[in-house]
Amino acid sequence: MGWLAGRTARLVGESPAIGAALKAQGATFVTEGNCDVLVHVAASPPIKPVHELGHAEWRAALDHGLDQRFLLARDFAAERRAASQGGAVIFVGAPEQALGSDQAAAAGALSNLTKTLGVEWARDGIRINAVLTFEQGSTLGNLVAYLASDYAAYVTGAVMGVGLNDG
Amino acid sequence: MPVPNHHLVTTPPSFESPPYPADIFAGQTVLVTGGGTGMGLAMARAFAQGGAQVAVMGRSLVKAQEGAAKIAALGVKVHAISCDVRLPDQVAAAFDEAEAMLGPVTLLANNAGANFPVLAEDISVNAWNAVTRIAIDGTFLCSTEFARRLIARGVGGAIINNSAQYIWTGFPGDAHSAAAKTAQATMTKAMAREWAPFGIRVNAIAAGFFPHETSTAGRREGTTEVLQNMIPAGRTGSIHEFGWLSVMTCSPLFAGLTGQVILQDGGESLRRSLMMPDYVPPRERVEGPWGWR
Repeated sequence: MGWLAGRTARLVGESPAIGAALKAQGATFVTEGNCDVLVHVAASPPIKPVHELGHAEWRAALDHGLDQRFLLARDFAAERRAASQGGAVIFVGAPEQALGSDQAAAAGALSNLTKTLGVEWARDGIRINAVLTFEQGSTLGNLVAYLASDYAAYVTGAVMGVGLNDG
Repeated sequence: MPVPNHHLVTTPPSFESPPYPADIFAGQTVLVTGGGTGMGLAMARAFAQGGAQVAVMGRSLVKAQEGAAKIAALGVKVHAISCDVRLPDQVAAAFDEAEAMLGPVTLLANNAGANFPVLAEDISVNAWNAVTRIAIDGTFLCSTEFARRLIARGVGGAIINNSAQYIWTGFPGDAHSAAAKTAQATMTKAMAREWAPFGIRVNAIAAGFFPHETSTAGRREGTTEVLQNMIPAGRTGSIHEFGWLSVMTCSPLFAGLTGQVILQDGGESLRRSLMMPDYVPPRERVEGPWGWR
């Protein structure tokens, strides 16, 4: 259909389904620099009882699931503003309560960060959304491609899952 | 106030460019409650853009027929039906009529609703019952009628519920609708769980403000204009982008999507600032731009 024809996208992290859907909708991939769309996919941390997590492991999960995502989005938004262009950020990861307490903290923080940045950057034309799910297939890919496109121009600050186990 | 020129306001593609092919629902029939006007008509038109045949249901047959004519103009078969979604016998009869005219209904859009701003102490029993039962009982009755038929045939399908962006925050000055729309969203998740084994998906849109000819703010001159700068996105929603997202959730593109309530409000419900206008109780803004009387 070409939802993203003429758009550039940066996909950080692993998701073959998202890569395929962005490509199928006409996006061109870049690995750095100013681009229209930023998709950040965080791999899930291993599940461990919270009282057996060392601080370094805890910090790594929060760094990966939250801090790096914020810093990347902040840099993306700065480049978009400098270019007087809008854009779209989609954070993708596992559901909030599905893994360990480190994931619960990171995903919960990410959810409210998504809602916050969605409003804070709204008048820059930059939309921020999050998909927290176990889904790895084409629905995830299509949903992310939709959120990246102007078809979702009125969707920002939204946090959603895909399937029943994502709540 | 108008949106300042240096703010970037993103708009969707035009109605003529839907995000799915014209045959994505070919051979399928959708039933849209309250499909003759407003948001229901937008859903119905979006389904028609994907090739679905459309049963347009409304309490007023005249309105349903007027809407049906607009949908038929998109080149699909349509049928208008009069039905009060609060009455189980009428709902069953409407599904019978829709299936007799168009074939098995495999898609359902629960849109029928009533809403008007009113102080809680001024809500009559009749008004409370009308607003809550059209949304809550109507969604229950139409969804279960739909699901029983699909389960009996052994085929899957999809439901989309038209909920609202104020379901998480409440909506002072609109107590009946605040209660009703949240019920729709929470039953969305419960029904999705119950019907997943039968291949029936259930999702909802928590919709922001999409002005149309019958929306409340449309009653006053210039009111919609005032709203643009109030919303983080810098504009109210275009009704066709609401129709498209509703329809997308039911499409094979989102075949794995179920139990989701997707916010589409341009950031309106998420506004929160250290500096906000002084709080004015709804009772004391009776004469304001969205006054109650």
